[in-house]
Order: sequence, then C-alpha cells, then structure tokens
Amino acid sequence: MKRRPQTVAEKVLARASGRDNVMPGELLEVRPDFTYSHDYAVFAIDAFEQMGARSVVAPDRNAIGLDHGFPVNNARDANNHARVRRFAKQHKFCAFFEGGTGIAHQVMMEKGLVLPGALVLASDSHTPSGGAVGALAIGIGETELGFIWATGRTWLKVPDTIRVNLTGSLPRGVAAKDAMLTLIGRLGVLGASYKAIEYQGAAVPLLSVSERFTFCNMSAEVGAKAGFFPADEVTEAFVRGRARFPYDPVRSDADAVYSEQVALDLSALEPMVVLPGREDQAIPVTEAAGKRIDQVFIGSCTNARADDLAIAARILRNRRVHPDVRLLVVPASRTVELESSRNGDLAILLEAGATLLPSGCAVCAGAHQGVLADGEVCLSTSNRNMPGRMGNKKAEIMLCSPATAAASAAAGVVTDARAFDDILS
Amino acid sequence: MAARKPAEQGVRRERKSVNAVIEGEATVLGDYISADTVLPARWSFVPPDEMAEHVLEEAGPQVNPKIKSRAIIVAGEAFGYGTGRESPARALRAAGIKAIVGGPFGRMFFRNAINNGILVVDCPAVLGCGIADGDTIVIDLDASRVRWKEQAFEIAPVAPIIRNIIAAGSLIDYGRAVMAARDGAPA
Repeated sequence: MKRRPQTVAEKVLARASGRDNVMPGELLEVRPDFTYSHDYAVFAIDAFEQMGARSVVAPDRNAIGLDHGFPVNNARDANNHARVRRFAKQHKFCAFFEGGTGIAHQVMMEKGLVLPGALVLASDSHTPSGGAVGALAIGIGETELGFIWATGRTWLKVPDTIRVNLTGSLPRGVAAKDAMLTLIGRLGVLGASYKAIEYQGAAVPLLSVSERFTFCNMSAEVGAKAGFFPADEVTEAFVRGRARFPYDPVRSDADAVYSEQVALDLSALEPMVVLPGREDQAIPVTEAAGKRIDQVFIGSCTNARADDLAIAARILRNRRVHPDVRLLVVPASRTVELESSRNGDLAILLEAGATLLPSGCAVCAGAHQGVLADGEVCLSTSNRNMPGRMGNKKAEIMLCSPATAAASAAAGVVTDARAFDDILS
Repeated sequence: MAARKPAEQGVRRERKSVNAVIEGEATVLGDYISADTVLPARWSFVPPDEMAEHVLEEAGPQVNPKIKSRAIIVAGEAFGYGTGRESPARALRAAGIKAIVGGPFGRMFFRNAINNGILVVDCPAVLGCGIADGDTIVIDLDASRVRWKEQAFEIAPVAPIIRNIIAAGSLIDYGRAVMAARDGAPA
C-alpha cells in the first residue's frame, strides 16, 4: 500500500509516537526529543512533586535557562530561582543556564539543544521559535512539563499545516519582522490556531536563521501550534558543530496535504508598525509616522540578535536618542552581546544614549524591568502588544522592526527608517 | 516501558461518568480577552487565594466578583490568546471556575485550563444567542451537548484524555494516579 504523503509536522509526530503515519486531528501520546523551561519551571517542580514523582525521565534531554526575571528584585523570586537551580542540579539536567545567559528560546538554539526534525516541548508560548532550525517546537503549560518530567510523555493533537509561500526578496529597509507583521495582519490572532505553519518558497534560502527565528517566534501571534522552516543548507550550516544530540532533518513530501496555502511576496512589502492593543493591527510605517513615543525597546526573542543590533547601530551611528525618549537595549543572549560588543555595535548604541540591560526577557515579560507609566507609549521590537503586556494596562505598546525602532528613538516619534537613506544603502 | 500499559489501564478504569454533566451559572465575557488580561504576569507567583482576587479584574470593573461567584464562563472569540503562562488558568481554578464555553480559544490556554481541571468547550454557537449573566448553562459530555434554557448546542465529543483529566480533578491528580499505578505495577 502506498504510504500517505506527510508534512513535516506529521512526520515528526509520527516518529515521536512510534507510528509510521499519522493524520491531522488524531490525538497521540508522544515522547518529546527535548524539553526546556525558564523561571516558570518552579510551577513544573510543584506539579512534579505533587504527582509523587521522584525521578525525571530522560534528564539528559531536559534543560532550564533563567530569563524572565534576572537579576531578581525580590526575595520571593530569588527563592524560586534557587529552587529551580537546585532541581536542575539534583536531577542532572543536561544543561542549566544561569540568568544572564540569555532568553531560553535563543540559548537552546545557540547551544545546539534544539535541532532539526526534533519534537521540542517547552513551557512558554514562544517555543515555536525552534522552527528556525527546523524543529517542531510546541508550547506547553508548566503542569504539563512536570507531567513529562514524571512520565516522559504527553498527548498532542496532530495539527493541520498551513503552507506559507515566501517569494521575492525583502526591499531595502524592510525586515523579516515587517514581513511577519504583514502576515499576522492578514491571518489575525487566531488565524493559524491549533495549526502548524510551514514556511516554504523561493525566498527561503535567502533568509538567515535569525530572520527565520522572527517568523517562527511570532507564529505564536497567529495562534499557531508550531511554525518552522524545514531544514536546508542554511540550517545545516548553523547547526553543524553545535548539535548536542543526533538529529534527523525532515522535509515534507512533495505531495503532502496542506489545509491552506498563503502567498507572501517579500518584494512588495514595506516597514510596518502594529498599533496598540492587538498583534494583527499592523499599518505601514508611513501611516504611523509622527506618533508620540516615550520608550523604545530593542529586545526580546523576536528581534535582539546580532543582525538586529547591527541595523540599529547603523542607524544610530553619529546620532543621539531623542531627549524625550528612553532607549532600552537587551541582547537576546550573552553570545549576541559578546558579538555586538566585539564588532562595536553596542558601543555605538551606548554612545547614542541607549541603556543596556542584562540579556533576558526584560520589558517583554511585563513584570520585571522597563514597566511603563500611565499613558506612556512603548515602541518595541518584541512580539506582543495587548493591554497590560508590559506591566501597566494604562500604557500602550506598538511593535516594529529594529530599524524602525532605532530611527524612531533618534527622531523621538515613529519614523520611517528609509528616510535615513545614507545608512541603508 | 513495561510498566506503562498497566498504569494507563489503571487510570482508564477511573473513567466513569463522573463529571459527565457540569451545570452552573454563567458569567458572559466579550471577545479578544487575552491570557495576560485574565491574569497579568505580575500576579503569577502569588498564592491561589490572592490570584482569585485579581483574576479578570482588568476585563472590567464588576467582572472579578462575578467570576468568583459563578462556576461557568461564556467566553467570546480568542479568549485566553497570547501568553502561555499557566497562572491565568490557575487563577480561574482558584476562583472556582469549572467550565468555559464559547471560543474558539487560545491553544495554550485551552490546555492549561484543562490541566487545571477546568473543562473548556469549543462552542462558538453559544455566542450572541442571548445568554445573560447569571443564566444556567448545562454541559452534557455524554450527549456532547451544551444546553441553555430550551436550546441545545452540539459540541465535538470531548476526547477521552481530557475527560480523564477533568474526572481526576486536574493533570496533577491524573499524574498522581499514573505514578501510583506505575509504582504499584509489576516491573
């Protein structure tokens, strides 16, 4: 009998459940290849202990990286961090990354723990980021993570897959972030709910792992279960020399079945700004230009890698952050911070008047640093802008690319970076 | 591996028609209430009682007291979208919520709520049909139906794993049963 053609999501889930073939809609019991968590691991520890579990199944495939609130600013969080450190050590997790190493999604990829073709589960909604290297990476809750530690398994539904066909190439001054904000505007915040998004098309070989990360990361903003770029030569070049585990890259069969096809011509795009309130409210920067801002945040797992800081530095070289604006820069990881430090980009940003915070979630986690005052507006390279996301419901958040963030920080209002033509050429 | 099957069977045996019917008064909420609005991140680490005092307070001035006094929420489109933090679901459990009907829901919120013993039923048909605050809603799992006054709304059959978790009380309770059965099973 001819085997039914399979998508990446179906292939990975079939393997993780010990099956040859699975169908969208089926509920499976799966064994993940790798799981990770962050500060909220403390709730997984609670669950694990309350279930009466004593040992972690496959600790060699579990890691934790503290990122949400480091360095801590109160005793309660300090005690939680201490508990997480002890647990990771006691159960011999394959890795524990101290606060300051970076945002877990970024770090797990840099350190070769999230790999092509792997089923990765982590207790955070931006877990789909791992699709940047071709992993099927899915967010789960903290109690569920505790259950996986205790039993080695959980249940997942096989998702339908939406195929997004990326064609053309990004025009000057337009970033992967602008493409993703355009796509989110088109699909809506539930547009890919419960589904996987597979990014394909002629433009894909031209996109770096960092750019792919931005797409996969914000796949969460259309409700997707996972978003991924099937592994190719770009993936292999990134993963080679880092991989901590054996891995098996998978690609969809040519005749695999998709629930929906979406075309996005990158050549036709322009820089976008998402208006406050909801992630699917993007408008061209030209229509948002001149809007007041109080804080600019260049950070988060979406857009704070070395290429993001490089474009910000190119724009802010020989310029100053506007006196009415605060610019917070938070590299996605210490590795990024080192690279941007060595190549001089961080020095340029500091000279321009940026404040540098330790690598981590910072402003985007909404409970730790950079909280806004009533009525203030933050222009951010992060991924979410619903009311209260940055810790104050009475403040507003707009989303954009690092280029738009940097240009706006200099101008003091929302600004089209393409106006700074000298540096984008 | 060898102990897996008996453990599972042990849990499956518990699946009677416990919680086959969930009935209670409903609070009706609007569309696009994110999980960050259900419970902002700053309340994630406080004790359950305190979480219950803050759950959905940002959704409107009178919402929190209603949530604490009624067991069911009729929630609009995209309820729980956004953050995958589990604390919003824990807060709803602490406030005494037993079921949420409506949607469609944010995926991670859906799982987190179920794992905290709150049945989440995708049934957008209940929205806009006139259900008012305080009305009684009945969710009949065996019949795969939601009832309000004289009306009945069909729902997709709730998966056995979800019914098992709800019947156990939460994923923690379910996990405790799995662990106990595994430890008790012959190796």
